[in-house]
Amino acid sequence: MDLLIQFLTNTGYYLLDFRNVIMLLVGSLFLYLAIAKEYEPLLLLPIGFGVLVGNIPFFKGFGLGIYEPNSVLHYLYFGVTTGVYPSIVFLGLGAMTDFSSLLAMPRLMLLGAAAQMGIYFTLLGALALGFLPKEAGSIAIIGGADGPTSIFLTAKLAPHLIGPIAIAAYSYMALIPIIQPPIMRLLTTQKERRIHMPDMRDVSRTEKLLFPAAGLILCCFLAPASIPLLGPFFFGNLMKESGVVDRLAQTARTAIIDTATIFLGFTVGASTQADVFLTPKSVGIFFLGAVAFSIATASGVLFGKIMNLFMKQKINPLLGAAGVSAVPGSAREVHQVGLQADPTNYLLMHAMACNSSGVIGSAICAGILWSFLV
Amino acid sequence: MYGLQAISAQNGWAMAVAGALIVMAGLTVLSLVIAQLHKVAAFLEKGVEKRSEKKQAVKTAPKEAAVTKPPSVDIDEAQARLKPLAAELGESFELTNLYELANSGELPHVHLSIRSLRESGVIVPAGDGRFVWRD
Repeated sequence: MDLLIQFLTNTGYYLLDFRNVIMLLVGSLFLYLAIAKEYEPLLLLPIGFGVLVGNIPFFKGFGLGIYEPNSVLHYLYFGVTTGVYPSIVFLGLGAMTDFSSLLAMPRLMLLGAAAQMGIYFTLLGALALGFLPKEAGSIAIIGGADGPTSIFLTAKLAPHLIGPIAIAAYSYMALIPIIQPPIMRLLTTQKERRIHMPDMRDVSRTEKLLFPAAGLILCCFLAPASIPLLGPFFFGNLMKESGVVDRLAQTARTAIIDTATIFLGFTVGASTQADVFLTPKSVGIFFLGAVAFSIATASGVLFGKIMNLFMKQKINPLLGAAGVSAVPGSAREVHQVGLQADPTNYLLMHAMACNSSGVIGSAICAGILWSFLV
Repeated sequence: MYGLQAISAQNGWAMAVAGALIVMAGLTVLSLVIAQLHKVAAFLEKGVEKRSEKKQAVKTAPKEAAVTKPPSVDIDEAQARLKPLAAELGESFELTNLYELANSGELPHVHLSIRSLRESGVIVPAGDGRFVWRD
């Protein structure tokens, strides 16, 4: 009888508390959004299931939980806490990215830079709300709308916040179709949304080959702390553009990035153990994340309007919203909003240019914040 | 500590302004550089083109035809080899028959040997396309 009672007191049913129930509901919501609504399923599905796994109550001390040394989940989580998974994701991302549109119209890179202003506004906001500087820097990077970058910087500055920051970053990336369009419409006129962008010139193979080297040198000389992200990113891109290592490039943009994404998403989800995750700080992080993301979108759009004051060839300010590095979600939204204003206005390629510069910009910001706050 | 006081105490204003300026400057420089990249690419491509043109020119220049000297034929030796064979064909013979016979006997340089014998007058025409050995 004692044995049975002992067993029952060790079951999840007995150990369950309301915080676990909340988190299980959150995980289920993520799974619903991924499967039924197809909102960023590649991210939300592994995270959602990871949330379920991480919130099954268990008897502490068995070496089961993600925060318990020697547990299997703890070893898998190692790739997150050391920043290994984000670097691998960036390698695959580089092998996927086509910089042709950015090379054809380099001035669009400025919109990618402007959208990073959300990061610095949020840094101020987080400090004002009483977060410590390292925590504030980690929260601010959510404004870059780049999940791997957010995880990378948080792992370096405030590892105890990886769970809430990763969940916030990925949630807002998934919620792009809901967050960005109202801000874009609010800050632009119908006439501005109808601005057509000129056709892009053809970009030679030599230019595409030179870009990874030039980008790496210029960005990493400026912010060496961004090497772990931008190094693999530009390396992946060179593999793609060189055309001589197709097998490697193909593996980087499929098997490698997929493997890293699976373990990244799953372990980040599992790291949201209710007792660690459901704290007042997490609420603050979610609030600031939404602010960061909105300010980033607004900064890009407003900078596009400012550029139009000085340039002969007007640009569509909607493109500024794609300056956040949520690839390709924000580019897709810009394209959709442009099409709604004028069904003949195709902005996708131009928006992808801003998007890819946003990836570079947010990685530089991560490097800058790391070197400021370390 | 909260609010503006917290920002000032943590050096927040300086970090935000400096960070924003650095990323803006960095990406502006990068955009200026990639705006000029097509010129560098054109320069490099021109150089590569010139070099490949030169290589092509060297490759396509007509090569001097290799002059191979025919091996010298010792008339006496050729005569000593071929005369016994020609005897099988009779007193007069056709050169083609001699050639086929010598070739089947795997003698070296058969064609050259017959030509040399012909040119040196060791074999002389006997009319009707037949030849005889000159005594």
